[in-house]
Amino acid sequence: MDASDRTAVLIRARQGDEDAFGALVQQHSHRVFQLAFRMLGNEQDAEDVVQESFLRAYRQLGRFQARADFGTWLYRITANCAVDMMRTREHRLRQRTDPIDEASINAQTEGPSPERMAEGAQLGTVVENALHELTAVERAAFTLRHHDGRSIDEICRTLNLGKSAAKHAVFRAVRKLRVALAPFRNLSNVEAKS
Amino acid sequence: MTLTPSSEAPVDMSGHMTDEDLVLLFYGESAQPASVHAHLASCAACAAEYAAIAETLALVPAVTSPERGDHYGLEVWQRLRPQLPARGVLWTLSPARWRMQLGLAAAAVLAIAAFAAGRYWTPQEAAPVQAVNSAADAGAEERARLMAIADHLERSERVLLEVTNADGPFVDVSSQQEWAAELVDANRLYREAATQAGDAPIAAVLDELERNLLDIVHAPSKLTPTDLDNVRTRLDAAALLFKVRILSNDLRDRETAPVVPVPVSRKTT
Repeated sequence: MDASDRTAVLIRARQGDEDAFGALVQQHSHRVFQLAFRMLGNEQDAEDVVQESFLRAYRQLGRFQARADFGTWLYRITANCAVDMMRTREHRLRQRTDPIDEASINAQTEGPSPERMAEGAQLGTVVENALHELTAVERAAFTLRHHDGRSIDEICRTLNLGKSAAKHAVFRAVRKLRVALAPFRNLSNVEAKS
Repeated sequence: MTLTPSSEAPVDMSGHMTDEDLVLLFYGESAQPASVHAHLASCAACAAEYAAIAETLALVPAVTSPERGDHYGLEVWQRLRPQLPARGVLWTLSPARWRMQLGLAAAAVLAIAAFAAGRYWTPQEAAPVQAVNSAADAGAEERARLMAIADHLERSERVLLEVTNADGPFVDVSSQQEWAAELVDANRLYREAATQAGDAPIAAVLDELERNLLDIVHAPSKLTPTDLDNVRTRLDAAALLFKVRILSNDLRDRETAPVVPVPVSRKTT
């Protein structure tokens, strides 16, 4: 599909043509899923965000500026849907009171034993647990900066944050990751020296 | 952090760089990369700090998302399509075109109001043929008015449902607020026209609807569970969704009902 075709599809979609919107969905689904998964780290949540993002895009299509880039616009919607999903997860986590869940949360914050840390496969789990400890905005800003290579300015525009808020969300995320990953860093230093 | 000349690295009171500046350097967003590197070359403490940050961030693995097949886009669309809300033409319009449409709607409402006024004043000298034509026109215009109000009520119901069905610790309702703001403008026109036409039941529901739409417009854009509960309680107390749905169905029924010609008395000579 060339640029003029894409524009024509967009115009038809904005006029309420469902098939045209379907073409946009099919064109962008992979990228939306990948972004949602990078931000959430969970396949089912990412699928839910894909659905919600396209629904929001459909509802807001009338406000989309035709000269803007649809992919960029959809990227912002997806990132914000993912933030909402993270907030919902945070809320659910806070509401859980059963001892099994508390134990698992404690296990996450205490971290694995040195023996288990030595296992390379544990690193991914610890990183994922550490990311879960971040607030929704910290995780979103960190993911966009670290994994997606977005500049602070782009993060501001994507998440509707001020520059200072976006920077500090990234800084706080890095600080928390440093604490969580310190044992691994020490371990790799020991290995390097031996 | 102290302010330093642009050629010098940004250092704090102790003469070292902040973690924040080192993180920015790592991500290539330092405002003065050359001077920061020069500082790191001469400051072992900052160099060690930077190495620790870089090492930590290097431990965060790249995220590989699970594979999705070639037909994934089609699968998403097939799941999504049944969930798409119905979209009227007005829904797809930009704010500028919305204003234009509202202008047209206002003109239509004035025409309907003029018709409604004329409906109760039939010139005694009117010829029978004119009277029959007038009755047919009246029926068509009345149906158009009812249809427009029914469409408006259905759109309003969708906004109310979206807000009341929202769930989460901080629900962003900014898009629903924009939508509600647009509906408030249209609602005002329909309400005034209904009042002028003497449709008290319609005017009453539209009045209540307008107040609730305004509540949504003026609420915070991120609602807490308590805010959402308050909205639901207000709507439940007024039974507004129920009233909107009943009125919308009633208008649809009236819209499809056969037109009963207005009896016109023939002047005897």
